Amino acid sequence: MDQILQLLFTGIGIGSVYALVALGFVLIFRATNVVNFAQGEFSMVAAFLMVVFAVDLQWPYWLSFIISLAGMALFGVIFNLGVYYPLRHRTFLPVIIATIGASIFLANSVLAIYGPAPQVLEGWFETPGIQLGPVYLDSQYLLIIAVTIVLVVLNYWFFEHTMLGKKLQATSQDKEMASLLGISVSSMIMITFIYSAVLGGLAGILVAPILFVSIQMGATIALKAFAATIIGGFGDVTGAIIGGIALGIIETFGAAYVSVPYKDAFAFLVLIAFLVFRPQGIFGERVAEKA
Amino acid sequence: MKLTRRDFSVGVAATLAAPAFVRNAGAQGATIKIGQVLPVTGSAAEQGKFALNGAKLALEAVNKAGGVLGKQLELVTEDDQTTNPGVVLAFSKLAAQSDIVAFLGSIRSTQVHAMAPDVLKLGKPMAIGGTDPNLTHMGNKWLFRFRPNDSYSGSVIADYGTNTLGKKKWAVLHSTDAFGTAGGKALTEGLSKLGITPVIDQGYANQSQDFTPVVLAIKQSGADVLGSYFTFENDLGIFARQLRQLGVNIPWVGSPSIVGVSSTRLAGASLYGTYGVADYAEDSSPTAKAYGKAYRDAYKLAPDNQSAWTYDAVTVLAKAMNTAKSTDPEKVRTAILAIKGFEGAEGQYNFDANGDGLHGYNIVKNDKGNIVFEKHIEAKT
Repeated sequence: MDQILQLLFTGIGIGSVYALVALGFVLIFRATNVVNFAQGEFSMVAAFLMVVFAVDLQWPYWLSFIISLAGMALFGVIFNLGVYYPLRHRTFLPVIIATIGASIFLANSVLAIYGPAPQVLEGWFETPGIQLGPVYLDSQYLLIIAVTIVLVVLNYWFFEHTMLGKKLQATSQDKEMASLLGISVSSMIMITFIYSAVLGGLAGILVAPILFVSIQMGATIALKAFAATIIGGFGDVTGAIIGGIALGIIETFGAAYVSVPYKDAFAFLVLIAFLVFRPQGIFGERVAEKA
Repeated sequence: MKLTRRDFSVGVAATLAAPAFVRNAGAQGATIKIGQVLPVTGSAAEQGKFALNGAKLALEAVNKAGGVLGKQLELVTEDDQTTNPGVVLAFSKLAAQSDIVAFLGSIRSTQVHAMAPDVLKLGKPMAIGGTDPNLTHMGNKWLFRFRPNDSYSGSVIADYGTNTLGKKKWAVLHSTDAFGTAGGKALTEGLSKLGITPVIDQGYANQSQDFTPVVLAIKQSGADVLGSYFTFENDLGIFARQLRQLGVNIPWVGSPSIVGVSSTRLAGASLYGTYGVADYAEDSSPTAKAYGKAYRDAYKLAPDNQSAWTYDAVTVLAKAMNTAKSTDPEKVRTAILAIKGFEGAEGQYNFDANGDGLHGYNIVKNDKGNIVFEKHIEAKT
């Protein structure tokens, strides 16, 4: 029982990271109908920004955090203008290829600027974790879980109860109709990119004290987050969160009770099963229809 | 101008002979070239930087001492992207340059395996750092290893944990790539010779984000000592932190990556008190110490095996070519195999018929972040 509780905590913790990145995938997909394969690199870039401010420049952690997220907001603007906007009238394929190109460009740019060495970024808390009976609760995982819960609530409130949220939803559902109703579609898409970049950045900064800050960290998380979005339902915010957490739990328990080396395979087995038997995911609409 | 039959014949002959002439001129160029495949990008890019540092340091020393056969030695590098397709492509680019006389391969066994058939086909010496024992035992006469192989490290880890630390209940943990699988097998065999069967033998996939299931399995097994083969320092750092956080504080003797510069930095206090087998240990010999000083002076970094083996490889290749008085592959091969008692940064080189230069390991301890030399154990195989 102790082991199950420990695995459950870790599974939810790592799953929450997938969920945060998956949320970025979903929001951009809803707004633009394309998958942003650079979403993982958003996390990596933000983690490196934190290293620059908090470690290299020794600025206070909270200040570094705010500036890094502000940097990610700006990054979202640049990404939208540089990668999506010039191709917005093309089919989804060139845009997807452009995001893959951007992810390679970002990884190699950070490599060129910062070098290949993984970096250590300490977490928010002095205490690495707390022992609650037989279960060890890692402080950083606790923070990640808490942030995910807050974001789920905020997202729901934002999309369902604010005018901006409703405009974003209208844009994602039918751009032409939204435009006829006086909604600035390009502004809505810009806001989505900013929000996705900040979300991805937040995930990267939160997970960095556990996984370290490396060029590969984004790609590693993004692959799982992408699987999470398929499982949850591409285009569905709740699905992304549930898909991410479910994936974290599945792979952690699969590794513990079936096979450790095939840990990653469980995630992708579940993904394949969903693609075959329920391609629309738990909550979403069919990818084929959306695309 | 009238073109006579004689002019025409001379022209044709010159045209046909030109490529051979140019090739010959290239071979007799101003420098002697050594090719190096190394990860400039990808997950081992940091290791690649160290590998280049070591090779360049040796290159400077060789050239300062008069070079090879009266010419300066030159290094030509290609990025292997830390992938098997990448390494094959990188090697093919270097192999196409006929004036490259020898190569530095990878420290990663899986990548040396990927290149090995092409190396055999090309027929020129390649220095390698991969420690999978099979690499020098599969009939490829062009591979020369500049680190001790894992049949030695396995026996040394088993010997130290059992006979010096006095532990009998072993947990064996290894990555599932070529290096980790061969290392785990070597450790299990080393333990078997001491009459021990591990209580748990666990593999893991590289680039894991979470090791909780592994740590819990080790905890449940009741092991009193851990032996490990980690391929990537990032994985080792994540595992070390989780191991200690989840309350597993048993002694730990690991393969060389446990005492690597990156692991020590990433894992911090989680690795304090652990032991590692290290081919390079700064205090193990005067040559290792001198290399350490030269490396620190040049790069302001702590030296480790990632750079020490390429340093030795360039030095030995240059020595072999000078001894052979030729860059002919067969003659260089014979000269390398004849090297006995050569003191390198990694240890004393005594090449055997398989192309293995080193046959023992140093045991070092992580003493609050400082890697301290404990003892040298010459392996019994």
